[in-house]
Amino acid sequence: MLNIPSGIIQSMIEHARELAPHECCGILSGNEGTIAEYYRITNILANMSEQELTRFDGAKLSDLQRLSPEERADIAFQMDAREMAMAQRDIRSKGLALLGFYHSHTFSPARPSQTDITIAMEFESYRAKLNFPEPVHLIVSLEHADQPVVRAYQIQEARATEIPIRTLP
Amino acid sequence: MIKVRIPTPLRPMTGGKGELEIAGNTVSEIIDNLGSAHPGIKERLYDEQGEVRRFINIYVNEEDIRFLTGKETPLKDGDEVSIIPAIAGGS
Repeated sequence: MLNIPSGIIQSMIEHARELAPHECCGILSGNEGTIAEYYRITNILANMSEQELTRFDGAKLSDLQRLSPEERADIAFQMDAREMAMAQRDIRSKGLALLGFYHSHTFSPARPSQTDITIAMEFESYRAKLNFPEPVHLIVSLEHADQPVVRAYQIQEARATEIPIRTLP
Repeated sequence: MIKVRIPTPLRPMTGGKGELEIAGNTVSEIIDNLGSAHPGIKERLYDEQGEVRRFINIYVNEEDIRFLTGKETPLKDGDEVSIIPAIAGGS
């Protein structure tokens, strides 16, 4: 169970709508399964060079290479590393933990894609060594524009398992 | 020697190795020496201005070098340098 204040759910949906058709992304902090704050992080994908795209895997990389830089951000995101580090520092200074990441799917359902799973597993291979707690992955779907959907997942051993969300007032 | 953790996307350039022992007194020296031993890897970490690319975090132990003294962050035996791309994904 993941507890999220309704204001933060609304803020993530607003973030997704503001950036659509680009995907938005961000970080969630809190303690013991309860989200306390969220941080908007810039999706820098549209400003990345062709050479920098090579961190994406085969199929996704082919898709990205076919698109213009602007269009690439419609189907993928890359967090700005500096903003991510600054958010992590702020989280630490408040005595909170990095609990998860969120991003939007502008045209598809709120479930992790193969790319999401591959990169989450990549992160999983580093995080214990850096003492990061296991993150949850939230996805905001705008597939049905008037009915946005937010779902949370744990990604382990290349499998995504949904975690129920309890909305706090 | 400093233990350097290589992220998955760069491992094809290190013969598949995820951890290397590299000599150097600063992060900058480590990246230079890493680049000499594994050509092409430095260009994947630095942009055309020689700055760490915007999607890469470099940690010394558990701290991002942006909050230490950047590429000139000094290193001592036993320190660990982790090169970690920021989270990404796609629908």
